[in-house]
Amino acid sequence: MLEITNLHVRLTDGREILRGIDLSVNSDEVHAIMGPNGSGKSTLAAVLAGRDGYEITEGAVTYLGRDLLAMPAEERACEGLFLAFQYPVEIPGVNNMYFLRAALNAQRRYRGEPELDAGQFLRAVRAKLKFLDIGEDLLQRAVNVGFSGGEKKRNEIFQMAMLEPRLAILDETDSGLDIDALRAVARGVNQQRAPDRAILLITHYQRLLGYVEPDRVHVLQGGRIIESGDKDLALELERRGYGALGDAA
Amino acid sequence: MPHDLYEVSPMSAVVDFPVKPEARLYLEAFGRDFGQHTREPDWLSRQRRRSLARFAELGFPSRRSEAWRYLDLRALEAAPMLPVGAVRAIGGVPAPDLLAAVGLSETAYRLVLVDGHYAPELSTFGGLPSGVWLGATAVAIGERPDLMRSAIEAPPLDAARPFAALNAAFFADGFVLEIAPGIALDQPIEIVHLASGGSGGSLHTRSLVSVGAGSRASIFETFAGHGSYWRNDVVELRLAAGAELTRVGLVEEAADALHFGETLAALGSASRLASFVLLLGGRTVRYEATVRSEGEATHCALHGGFVLSGRQEANIVTTVDHAAPGGETREVFKGVAAGRAHGAFQGRITVRPGAQKVDANQLSRNLVLGPRAAIDTKPELEIYADDVKCSHGAAVGDLDEAALFYLATRGIGREEARRMLIEAFVREAVELVGSPQFREHLLKRLARRLAMLEE
Repeated sequence: MLEITNLHVRLTDGREILRGIDLSVNSDEVHAIMGPNGSGKSTLAAVLAGRDGYEITEGAVTYLGRDLLAMPAEERACEGLFLAFQYPVEIPGVNNMYFLRAALNAQRRYRGEPELDAGQFLRAVRAKLKFLDIGEDLLQRAVNVGFSGGEKKRNEIFQMAMLEPRLAILDETDSGLDIDALRAVARGVNQQRAPDRAILLITHYQRLLGYVEPDRVHVLQGGRIIESGDKDLALELERRGYGALGDAA
Repeated sequence: MPHDLYEVSPMSAVVDFPVKPEARLYLEAFGRDFGQHTREPDWLSRQRRRSLARFAELGFPSRRSEAWRYLDLRALEAAPMLPVGAVRAIGGVPAPDLLAAVGLSETAYRLVLVDGHYAPELSTFGGLPSGVWLGATAVAIGERPDLMRSAIEAPPLDAARPFAALNAAFFADGFVLEIAPGIALDQPIEIVHLASGGSGGSLHTRSLVSVGAGSRASIFETFAGHGSYWRNDVVELRLAAGAELTRVGLVEEAADALHFGETLAALGSASRLASFVLLLGGRTVRYEATVRSEGEATHCALHGGFVLSGRQEANIVTTVDHAAPGGETREVFKGVAAGRAHGAFQGRITVRPGAQKVDANQLSRNLVLGPRAAIDTKPELEIYADDVKCSHGAAVGDLDEAALFYLATRGIGREEARRMLIEAFVREAVELVGSPQFREHLLKRLARRLAMLEE
C-alpha cells in the first residue's frame, strides 16, 4: 500500500533531514517507527501528509499505486491517508462537530458518495463515541481550543475513527499522555486495526507498543532507517537505548 | 446668537457666508427643496438653515482630518449626490423582494424606510405595549415636538462632523423609539432601511432611540438597497439610568452605494449599551459611534467588524468618552479585507479626570487576504484619571497556515478551509451578540457574503 524508496528530504534552509528512507507497508500492517529526537520521524510524517516547506531531492513515494508526492494534502486525505498530529492545531471559532462533518463530507464528495446531513452525521458520531472515551461536550467546543493534552490526542483518534482512513500515521500520539489517556488512545488504535487499514506509529518510547503490538519496528536515526525487526526490537531498544544502537550502526 | 448670522435665503443660493465649492450645489438643492416647505415648525426650519450654513462653511472633510483620513471622498466631490430629501419616496417597486431577502425571518415589530421615508405598507408594529412610542421621525416632529426639538438641536455641529451637519439640514425622515421608564420590551424591534435604486442621490435619515429609566429594548437595523446612492444616516441613542439597549446594525448596501452611518449615544448611570455592527456591503462604508458615558457605572459593549473585497472601502471609527467613574467598556472589532479592499479601524477611549475605576478594553484584530488588500488600525487611549484599568490590542495578519494544513489533512480543500477560517474569525465577534435570533441572522448573512468573497 505504501512504498517509500530512497527518500531524501531537506528543509528550505538546505539542511538535509531524511537521507534515503526505504520503507514498505502492506495494507493490514502496523509499523512502528522509533528513533531519538531529531532523527527525522516527524519530518517523515509531515512529508507523507503533504506539508509545505520541504524539498524532496531524491526518491519516490507510492501510495495505492499512485505518486503520493504529486498530490496536494487534501487529495491525500481524500485518498484515505490520515495524520494524527503530534501537536494538534487549535482553530478558534470552528466548532469541532462542524469541522468533522465538513471533513467527512469533503471526502465523501471526493469519492462520489452522498453527503451526510446533520442527523446522519450525529448518528455516526454517537456510534463511534461509544468505543472511545470522549465526552460529547468536547465535540461542541472549537477545534482543540482549550483542550488538555490528552483531550487533543483523543480528538485525533476520534477523527481517525470517523474518517476511517486506509493509512493512518500517528505522530507521537503517545507523547505527553498519562497512563489512562495512553490506554484510551491505544484502545482506539487497536479497535481500528483492520485488514484494509495500515497504521504507522511514530514514537520516541516503547510505552505505546506495550498496548499496540506492531508487526514491524524500524529505527530511524540520522535520517535513515538503520535497523528493522519485529516487536522484540522495540523491547531491546528500551533496554539498550538509542545510543548503543547508534554506535552499532 | 452667532448662528443667526448665517441666514440662508430660502429661495436662492445667494448666501452671505463663506461657502466651500463642493457645498455649493447642496445649497442650491436646499433652496429648491425647502423653499416651499412651510408645514415644518419654525425651530426645525431654523435648525436646518443653521446646519446647512455650517456644512457650507466646513465642506467635505479633507484627509487631514483625523477622523476621515482613511476614506477617499474624491469621487463624491467630483460627482455630487444631491439629497432626494424633500421629494416623496420613489417607486419602491423592488422593496418587498429586497425586504424578504434581508429582513429577519420572524419579527414582531418592523418599521421600514424606503429611500429615506417611512413606508407604512411594509411596516408592522401594532400592539406595542403602552408607554412605547414607535414611528417615523416626520410624524414624531408633530406628535413629540419637545423630544424631537431637544434631540435635533442638541448635537454640536463640530468641524469633524460635516456630514452630520448636512444630515441635519436635509433629513427627510427616520424612526423614533421612545420607551417610558420601567418597561421591558421583550420582542426586538426591526428597522429596515431600503434604497429602491431609483434615487441616485443622497438619502438623509435622522433617528432617535430614547430608553427610559430601568427599561429594556433591542433593535436590529438593516441597511440594504439597489443601484447607486449615498446614504447618510444619523441615529441618537439615549439611555436613562439603569436602561438597557441592544442595537445591532447590519450594513448590506448595494455594491455601488456609499454609506455613512453615525451613532451618538449618551449613557445614564448604571445603563447598559450593547452595540454591534457588521459592514458587509457597499462601495464605501463608514460607521462612526460616539458614546458618552455620562452617569456612573455604565456598561458599554461596542463590537463589530467588516468583510471587504473587490475595491470596497470601510472605516469604523469609535469614541467612548468616560466622563463619570466606574464605567466599563468592551470593544472587539474584526476586520477582513480581500482583493484590493481597504479597511480601517480607529478606536478612541477617553477617561476624563475624576472618572476613576473605569475598566476599558479594546481589541482590533484584522485579516488581510492577499497582497493588494490593506487594513489600518489605530487604537487610542486618552487617560486623565489615575485609578483605571485600560488596555488595547491590535493585530493585522494573514490566515493561519498551520490551521489550513490541519484542515487539508482532513480532506478539506484550500478554498473551503479559507472560508471556514475567515468565517470563524468574524464569528468570534458575532458570538458576542446576546440574542440567538440576531446571531443566527448575522451568521447567515455573513456566510452568504463570504461565499462571494472573490479575491
